[in-house]
Amino acid sequence: MDMFVQDRVGGEYLTALRTVLPNAIVNEEWQTPRQVTITVTADALADVMKTLYYEHYGWVSVVVGNDERPLNGHFAVYYVLSMEGPQKCHIVVRVEVSAITQEWPSVTPVVPACVWGEREVRDMFGLTPVGLPDARRLVLPDDWPDDLHPLRKDAMDYRTRPAPTQDDETYEFINDAKQETTIVPIGPLHITSDEPGHFRLFVDGEDIIDADYRMFYVHRGMEKAAEARMGYNEVTFLADRVCGICGYAHSVAYTTSVENALGVVVPERGQAIRAILLETERLHSHLLNLGLVCHYTGFDSGFQQFFRVREKAMVLAEVLTGSRKTYGMNLIGGVRRDILGDQAIETRRVVAELREDVNRLVDILLETANITGRVVGVGKLDKQVARDFSPVGPMVRGSGFARDTRSDHTFAGYASVPFTPRSHDGCDVLSRTLVRIEEVHDSLNLIEALLDVAPGGRILTEDFEYKPHKFALGFTEAPRGEDIHWSMTGDNQKLYRWRCRASTYNNWPVLRYMLRGNTVSDAAVIVGSLDPCYSCTDRVTVVDVRKHSAQTVPYKEMERYGRERKDSPLK
Amino acid sequence: MNSPFNAPFTTDGLQAKPPVVSIPDQVAKMKAALLKDIQRSAYVYRVDCGGCNGCEIEIFGTITPVFDAERFGIKVVPSPRHADILLYTGAVTRSMRMPALRSWEAAPDPKIVISYGACGCTGGIFHDMYCVWGGTDKIVPVDVFIPGCPPTPAATIYGFAVALGLLGQKLKTHTHIEQEGESVPVSHPDIPYKLRVALEREARRMAGYRQGRDLVEEFLDQLDAKAAAPLPERMKRFVANQEDPRRAEIFGCLEGIVTQAIGG
Repeated sequence: MDMFVQDRVGGEYLTALRTVLPNAIVNEEWQTPRQVTITVTADALADVMKTLYYEHYGWVSVVVGNDERPLNGHFAVYYVLSMEGPQKCHIVVRVEVSAITQEWPSVTPVVPACVWGEREVRDMFGLTPVGLPDARRLVLPDDWPDDLHPLRKDAMDYRTRPAPTQDDETYEFINDAKQETTIVPIGPLHITSDEPGHFRLFVDGEDIIDADYRMFYVHRGMEKAAEARMGYNEVTFLADRVCGICGYAHSVAYTTSVENALGVVVPERGQAIRAILLETERLHSHLLNLGLVCHYTGFDSGFQQFFRVREKAMVLAEVLTGSRKTYGMNLIGGVRRDILGDQAIETRRVVAELREDVNRLVDILLETANITGRVVGVGKLDKQVARDFSPVGPMVRGSGFARDTRSDHTFAGYASVPFTPRSHDGCDVLSRTLVRIEEVHDSLNLIEALLDVAPGGRILTEDFEYKPHKFALGFTEAPRGEDIHWSMTGDNQKLYRWRCRASTYNNWPVLRYMLRGNTVSDAAVIVGSLDPCYSCTDRVTVVDVRKHSAQTVPYKEMERYGRERKDSPLK
Repeated sequence: MNSPFNAPFTTDGLQAKPPVVSIPDQVAKMKAALLKDIQRSAYVYRVDCGGCNGCEIEIFGTITPVFDAERFGIKVVPSPRHADILLYTGAVTRSMRMPALRSWEAAPDPKIVISYGACGCTGGIFHDMYCVWGGTDKIVPVDVFIPGCPPTPAATIYGFAVALGLLGQKLKTHTHIEQEGESVPVSHPDIPYKLRVALEREARRMAGYRQGRDLVEEFLDQLDAKAAAPLPERMKRFVANQEDPRRAEIFGCLEGIVTQAIGG
């Protein structure tokens, strides 16, 4: 891999690291000029991570576990850092885990952002991060057998389904409150949107003192499915189904990761089309979220209007891809559909229409007095918390950090068009909403600019061969933030390992801090401002610890209270 | 009542299988009577058992202004206790089986169950995975399946109409029996096979599967056309007559392949 020594970006970080920790780095391997994997000793892992994260402005993107016993006799854990200091690159810190002790030292105590990643590695591989403060399961269901770890190569057939042992959930929720609090459980089923999740709000009167949540109700085992029964190109279509809203971003991240691993150069026209489709996806996703902000703040006509306008973004998707979802458009090496002249003309027409409609709606939204009343200063994401937990997308951009994969680690066609990431300093729901509003306009401009600069030529290259056990990262900026995939090719026309990390995965851990100190009626709008692939409440049971009584408040009542903020159902 | 909470699982090889809830005859009769004469609006409760969101968002699309299912009296409600129709999306995951069953129990009889989307209907791309029980019909009896990944809003409204007995299911079967001497004609038999494959491949790399196919057919028709003018001249004119520069570029590429084949 000496071919691009000259172009390498990020070598300075390694030099600095070698000065401070002389014996830490065992091996260094470059996947692309901006991607390096360093193997470090287990003892030095925490120090390496801390140095890169806090002293060189790194952010944790994802933690990947891998069962490499068939390859080299060890398990391995990869910590992916997005370096956003003066040299923008990805540094992957790899540590080998002995197949005998099956333990490695946890990084979470020094870099809190690793908490979910390490919990997931423990679930899926049965390795123990020594010193990890949170001993609970993350991904696997509560009644899954303790000694069955799905992603170990020798663990089980992918079809294995043990019968359930119990029907109750045993997940333990954590409450850091000092005083007595009342529990408000929310979910896992709810009306407003999307996926199931279960929230516990710990409240004193109307104030949220602490909150905890259980996610992964919809764990379906995609990574195992990809490794067990799909070829490389089929996984692009599986990656579409990671998320129903930002699926295309996942598909691009996956194909990019394999292309990076194999050194495939995608034709420029294919790259431009990918970027156009990503922006189309951002349009309908952000319009959805703006609609939901209206809904949660009791401005339902705004909600209906945003959904009316959003349908135009769906028309755009239909013009460009033939279906309302931007599914099934990618292959490794390029895309499956060109943009011909008629489609380009139609796209420009719809974009112009959308711009006018969005402008009008946003004016109305921002001039509605009770909107500002509900979103200013609500759901504060403190800058230090944001720095510690590495959230992504409009979440972190609403707290003053202009992190955007489109400019930090340019991919697809974004290098060919001017682009500046947006950020706001308010740290509240308003800031996140403003970031989204500005990004809708950016997306419209980007689509036009990309149509202008898209060169001719092919959209797909088929001129490459698969090589076994090559790995690399792929990344995109999805509507909710950075999506990152890590793929390792196998020797049987299947992936050896595929790790796919959706943007919301990085955003959940900070929600707890955003909810603290707000009132129950703000919970929905705060959760909504995360733009999770999931929002809100279907039913709320209130358990009063002091009175030892339980009372169920119907969703309608909860939502009504969220909008009107009088006649509390908790009294 | 047959409670889904106590029924035992069966095991088939590696896979445990959940019991399907059964409906008493009396309830089935009530349902038939309801469907025969349903003269009111129907309330729908959405149960996501492990969907990717695609289906959920399309349901949202269905109930908002452009498609507006409410004009047919179909309304999404926030509690299963108000529901006539339960709409299940997503493959049933291990963690969501009990919540899904609890909402089924909470809905009053007679209820109609719709399984929505590819994953809801069969488990879809996630069939047989370790954390998935399968489609909706693996846990509760399903009345109507709305397939699609995801189903469009129009398909959704059509599915509701079928569920409410307003429209009959469109079923069409057609059986073709091969006659003696019948065979599929080879397309463009006059064009050398290797040249045709080369053109089709290049068209796919330039314009993708669907559009590449359309464009190459158009081009092959030109090659096949019986006309007085010589082939190179005809191709040049065809390319020059394209209004869309991108199509001209693609046809230009194909022309290059043909020219090379004739010359070499």
